[in-house]
Formats: sequence, C-alpha cells, structure tokens
Amino acid sequence: MNNLIEFFKKNFHYFLLAILLVVSIIMMGKSMSYSKYKFARICQNTIGPIQKNWAEMIHKFSLGQENDLLTQQNIALMRENENMFIYKNDTVISMMSKTDSLHPRSMRLYDYTYAHVIYKTTDQAFNYLIIDKGSKDGISRDMAVTCPQGVVGVISDVSDHFSSIIPILHPDSRISATVSPINQVGTVVWEGPNPQVAYLENIPQHLEINIGDSVLTSGFSNIFPKGLLIGTVKEVSVGKNASFLTIKVKLATNFNKLNTVYLIENLHKAEIDSLKANFKNE
Amino acid sequence: MNNVVSNILRIILVLLLQVFICNYIHLFGFITPAFYLFGLLLLPLELPKSIQYLIGFFCGLFVDMFTHTLGVNAAACTVIMFIRPFIVKALNGRKTSDSVERLIPGVKDFKWLVSYVGFLTFVHQLLVVMLETLSFHNFLHSLTAIIGNTVLSAFIILCAEYIFYPVQGKNK
Repeated sequence: MNNLIEFFKKNFHYFLLAILLVVSIIMMGKSMSYSKYKFARICQNTIGPIQKNWAEMIHKFSLGQENDLLTQQNIALMRENENMFIYKNDTVISMMSKTDSLHPRSMRLYDYTYAHVIYKTTDQAFNYLIIDKGSKDGISRDMAVTCPQGVVGVISDVSDHFSSIIPILHPDSRISATVSPINQVGTVVWEGPNPQVAYLENIPQHLEINIGDSVLTSGFSNIFPKGLLIGTVKEVSVGKNASFLTIKVKLATNFNKLNTVYLIENLHKAEIDSLKANFKNE
Repeated sequence: MNNVVSNILRIILVLLLQVFICNYIHLFGFITPAFYLFGLLLLPLELPKSIQYLIGFFCGLFVDMFTHTLGVNAAACTVIMFIRPFIVKALNGRKTSDSVERLIPGVKDFKWLVSYVGFLTFVHQLLVVMLETLSFHNFLHSLTAIIGNTVLSAFIILCAEYIFYPVQGKNK
C-alpha cells in the first residue's frame, strides 16, 4: 500500500498532465454537455463586454480614415445635386434635336472638393480661417466654402498649399441671400462680436418675414450655388432706415466646431463676370 | 520570493499583451504572433512539474477564452511545458550542469536560445493550428500559417529576451 502511494506521489505530474490534456480535449470537442455549455456561457459573459469595449477603442483609431471616406461619398452625392447644373431644355437647339427631349441638356455649373480647417478665429473683429489645400490642389480665389451645416464663407487668398477664407464672420463678407417662402433677395452681413448671429439687409419693410424662416443663398453672386442654408430668422424689427427691416439671422454653421469644409467652384465664373463687367455699378 | 513575484507579474503582463494587442495583429491576413509564450518559456525549470503544467494550462485557457477556441491553446501550452525539460537537456548536450539554470541571454548563447525558443514555439503553433483545423484538409495553408506564426513569435520573443535581459559586458 505504501508503495502504491509512493508511486503515486512520484508520478503525480504525469497524472496531472494526462488530466489536463483530457480536459482540454473535452473542451475542444464538438459535443455539448451541460457543464461545458455553462462554462462557455460564463466565459462569454465575463470576457464579452471587455472585448467589446476594447474593440470600440481600437475602432476609434480608424475613425479618421472612415471620415475621409464619408466626406468623399458626400461630395460624390452633392455633385449630383440639382443646383449644380444649368438646364437647357428650352433652348432652340435642344428643341430641335429630338433625341435629347427626354433628357434635358444640362451643363455643369459648379464643382465640389473638400479640405480641412487647420486654423481659425471666431472671436475677433476680423475673423479668418486657413485650410490645408492651395493652388496646387486646384483651389482658386472666390471659391465658395460650405460645411455640412451651412455656408462658411469665401476663399480670399491662395498660396501653393494653403488658402485663407473670409467667413461670414467678417465685416467685409457680403453674401447674397433669399428668405425662403417669399424669395426676397437681400444681403447677409456680420457686425457684432457674436459668432452665431448675422444680419440680413435690404429687405423692404412691407414684406412679412416670420421668425424661423430659412435664409438661403440666392445663387446670384456666381459664387454660391442656389439654395444652401445660411441660417434662420431669429428676430425682426423696423430699422433706423425706415424703408428696410432689420433682421437678425441665427447662423446655421457652428464656426467653433468647424473641421471639414466643402469648396465649391463655379466653372463658368469668368464668363459670367465678363458679362457683368459691362455694367458699371459693381 | 522576489523571483516568484517577477515571474507572476511577467506572466500576467504578457497575457494581457497577448489578448489585447497581439491577437489583433494579422500580418498578411493570417500571421498572429503568440507572444505569451515568452512568459512560459522563462519559467524556472526547478519549479515542480505539476505546477508548471498547471500554469501552462491556465495561461492557454485564458488566451482561449478570448479567441473562442476553448482548449486549443491550453492543450498546446501544457504539452510544451511537458517537453520543455527534455528540450533543455537535449540542447545542453553531454555537459552535465546543475539543474538550476536560467534560460536567458548571457547565461545561454544566442544559438542555444534560438533553437530553444524556435523549437518550442514551433511545437506550440503546430499543435494550435492542427487542433484548430483538426484535419489535413487545407494542409498547405496550415503549413504556411504554422511557419509564419513560428517565425514571427520566435522573433518577437527573442527580441523581448534581449531587451529585458541585456547581455552584460564581455569582461564580466
């Protein structure tokens, strides 16, 4: 008997080895027993949440890449927007060619690209933004700048790799706008220090403007396409100059959180400007 | 005592590294290093064998719990803990040295460490891949996975050994 115990003690690790291997082989096996099921459940319940949180952490590293993909997709979609084109289905030529009658002849007027804001001010009297694209990326003066929320401003200066933007929040910025239901054209200007409020000028007093009306780009300046959101009417009052209303506009763009901006180029701006140049009042 | 604590800490650290970082590496789509062997390979040989097996088994099981392959790594680790003393003996050759030895750079030369780490990681990966697929069906793919994993794991483990146990100057 003593011999047996002695033998057992001496070779204990062999037995343990066999037991451990058998246990792991049982765990590997396809057959399901209740205890095995329960063990798998416990593993799942304890490890699952840890793993999920960790996977989310790791996922955050690739969010920048995902963002870029989404921005590209956005631009592809926005390029097909209706206000990007001029339709010519009523010209003489298109009426004569019958093949085109179903598909109105369209000409692309605006094109999009995107950039990231690398520097900006919002609390100064003369605010400006710098973006990470320049003339080598096809950026030129007077391109329009928007963001997913609304209008941002206009490109003012271009260097090789960077450009500066005059945002709405600049006293020199004047953006031609319409108030949505009545389509009256005015101009959006910014005076005050508040980066959320601008003024809509040149709206005659007899017109009825409601609080909450949207202020959109008019498309007359040949910089912005028609119908981009600038903001909403916040307050209406009779101005000092009695013939016009003073309209406070709450800007749609949150300039403090601006990161990705879209740049819009008018492909035929020079042509339209050459016509405009014949009139002296600009 | 200090030795015990450092061994335990090393194993815990290495396991966490394995399940949170190394398991997310998929070099060329199929190579995942098994860095946690670093902790097992450095265990002192004079530890009672049954304890060595238990440590191997539970380390493997811990990794398995994260990869949903219950039993695979546990079995492989138990096996390498079992064959480890024989490998050490074989590599030492005729030289009979005292049983207490440290398997680190400076004590052992580079060639010895490469064969020791390389062979054991190879056995481990062979077992893991074979047990996971449980067939010779896609043998070529399994073979590339085994070799790739072995090379990468052994490389990382050797790097870690030389980083954490730098060789002292020759005049010592």
